[in-house]
Amino acid sequence: MSSPFSINGGACVAMVGKDCVAIACDLRLGLQALTVSNNFPKIFQYGDNVFLGLTGLATDVSTVSDLFRYKVNMYRLREERQIAPRTFANLVSSSLYEKRFGPWFVSPVVAGLDPKTGQPFICGFDSIGCIDFAKDFIVSGTASEQLFGMCESLWEPGLDADQLFETISQSLLNAVDRDALSGWGAHVYIIEKDKVTKRLLKGRQD
Amino acid sequence: MADRYSFSLTTFSPSGKLVQIEYALNAVNQGVTALGIKATNGIVLATEKKSSSPLADPSSLSKISLITPNIGMVYSGMGPDYRVLVDRARKVSHTGYKRIYNEYPPTRILVQDVARVMQEATQSGGVRPYGVSLLIAGWDEGILPEEEIEAKEGEEGKKLSGKTGGILKGGPMLYQVDPSGSYFPWKATAIGKSATTAKTFLEKRYTEGLELEDAVHIALLTLKETIEGEMNGETIEIGIVGPPADHLLGVEGVEGAVGPRFRKLTPQEIEDYLTNL
Amino acid sequence: MEVLLGITGQDFTLIAASKAAMRGATVLKAADDKTRSLNKHTLMAFSGEAGDTVQFAEYIQANAQLYSMRNEADLSPSALAHFVRGELASSLRSRKPYNVNLLLGGVDPITHKSSLYWLDYLASLAPVPYAAHGYAQYYCLSILDKHHHPDISLEQGIKLLNLCTDELKRRLPIDFKGMVVKAVTKDGIIDIEFDDDKVVKSA
Repeated sequence: MSSPFSINGGACVAMVGKDCVAIACDLRLGLQALTVSNNFPKIFQYGDNVFLGLTGLATDVSTVSDLFRYKVNMYRLREERQIAPRTFANLVSSSLYEKRFGPWFVSPVVAGLDPKTGQPFICGFDSIGCIDFAKDFIVSGTASEQLFGMCESLWEPGLDADQLFETISQSLLNAVDRDALSGWGAHVYIIEKDKVTKRLLKGRQD
Repeated sequence: MADRYSFSLTTFSPSGKLVQIEYALNAVNQGVTALGIKATNGIVLATEKKSSSPLADPSSLSKISLITPNIGMVYSGMGPDYRVLVDRARKVSHTGYKRIYNEYPPTRILVQDVARVMQEATQSGGVRPYGVSLLIAGWDEGILPEEEIEAKEGEEGKKLSGKTGGILKGGPMLYQVDPSGSYFPWKATAIGKSATTAKTFLEKRYTEGLELEDAVHIALLTLKETIEGEMNGETIEIGIVGPPADHLLGVEGVEGAVGPRFRKLTPQEIEDYLTNL
Repeated sequence: MEVLLGITGQDFTLIAASKAAMRGATVLKAADDKTRSLNKHTLMAFSGEAGDTVQFAEYIQANAQLYSMRNEADLSPSALAHFVRGELASSLRSRKPYNVNLLLGGVDPITHKSSLYWLDYLASLAPVPYAAHGYAQYYCLSILDKHHHPDISLEQGIKLLNLCTDELKRRLPIDFKGMVVKAVTKDGIIDIEFDDDKVVKSA
């Protein structure tokens, strides 16, 4: 219960669709069982279609998201181009491993579309940067077990953008309902070739 | 006490010049000529391999170096300084890029890193500037979708491959780096003793839409104009950036494995080009 | 048993902190002010380990004032909140981290929007409409959940604060010696007269 990963609670999930990807998170910030805020998003954008979800210790969610904002801004200035999702994933991996013996207590998820091929890209990490490439979905946070169950039963290959939105939303909403430390609203991003749609799901507020 | 202070040897003259850098350029201009030509589908780097004695073994001498699988480098000026820069370039392409992003640096990034090393030698205490100019040639992967590049080319009404280099489009890039740390992108250029002659020659022979094979041809013709000794596979060195050389991978049947684009031509290959000259 | 409360409204942010300075079970002081003003329109309340609290708060206060003097412009409440978070976050992974919980209330000098930031010793930062620290959270957040609206007036805010302090007097086992109450408005920080002597009957 006092693991740094489960003090504040939170959940995040990413999914692959047909020529699109989706990433979603809950909005809760808590201290053990007490909810402090229902407005703590865990997804951050680092390019036209590069997204990072961070669950775990809230302070590290903020610190790590700020750190990558700095690193990606420097990358963009140096290279005069946007960072690609795969390159960003490797940056996340090497940055986390830099703190191998005093890690950030976060479980990151990357989602995006490859700028060259338009192929969907998702992956997850452990807190010291080991990458988990996936063809279907990635889950993280205190509701990860519930999310695995929901995704395994709802996800199928070749979902279009609208179907993917429905699938990821239902997966997240129903997973966090069975986790006391997650929920209280959600953000859902649907990433298509020339369009990113962000939706706010109010969710159960209890 | 004496070791506590260290002053830069490169200081401004009253007229605003850094004469140490000019001296370094003089060293470059006494060096053996090296040249580079960018084609639509690759780049050629070429230089003369001069041995001081007929007893020297020319096969052990190498002036064109691989930095990353897609980037190569040649120099004019002081050989020992060049080897230091090759080491630094290879090192920084890993520590400053591959170990972070798990991919090799684009040509411009590598060039900037090498240029920084050279600039620092003009402003740091107790060191002298590097006595070399470099030609760095590389192929960038780019991040733009292929169809977008073709569409853009269509607007301009050209029908080329579209990849003329750079971090966004991808394709061949050729840079020159000087002892001051300044760098320039070129379509074709030369450095060293006969740089002026060679560049005048290149200006006449270079055409837009050049292919790699033609570029190698022009490189040899240019070298012929300036060369002092005999031209053969032993006395000429050529490096090319071209299509992935999968035969250099050392393995077969590995999915997704792509061979290096930069490779040096063997003496036999050079001889073949020379006979067709 | 330190109490920190914060409530935002239409054009103000209320900050309240208990007056008792305690050491173990002993009340050492009954008129302690656990707040520091960072600039004309930002107020910070703090609780936590004795020594750390005032040291950290005044370090932040000094830096906020230094910024105002150097730039002839004040930092916004949001900018200050993120600055404080940065300091606390680097402290968290240092040899001796500060053990301080904070509430940061303010009104933006340009937009006149009120804001409140909840910040704990781990440097978790959250913008909130109302907030509490310590045991007060367990008693007050439910009351605030029920009665708070984003567009309440200052009078309504003080009434809401009374609901909270009444419950605290009813439930907390140790007397917290009343509250220092301050409000941040577009005109600056004002002290609010608060009746500490009101007797609340136990449940």
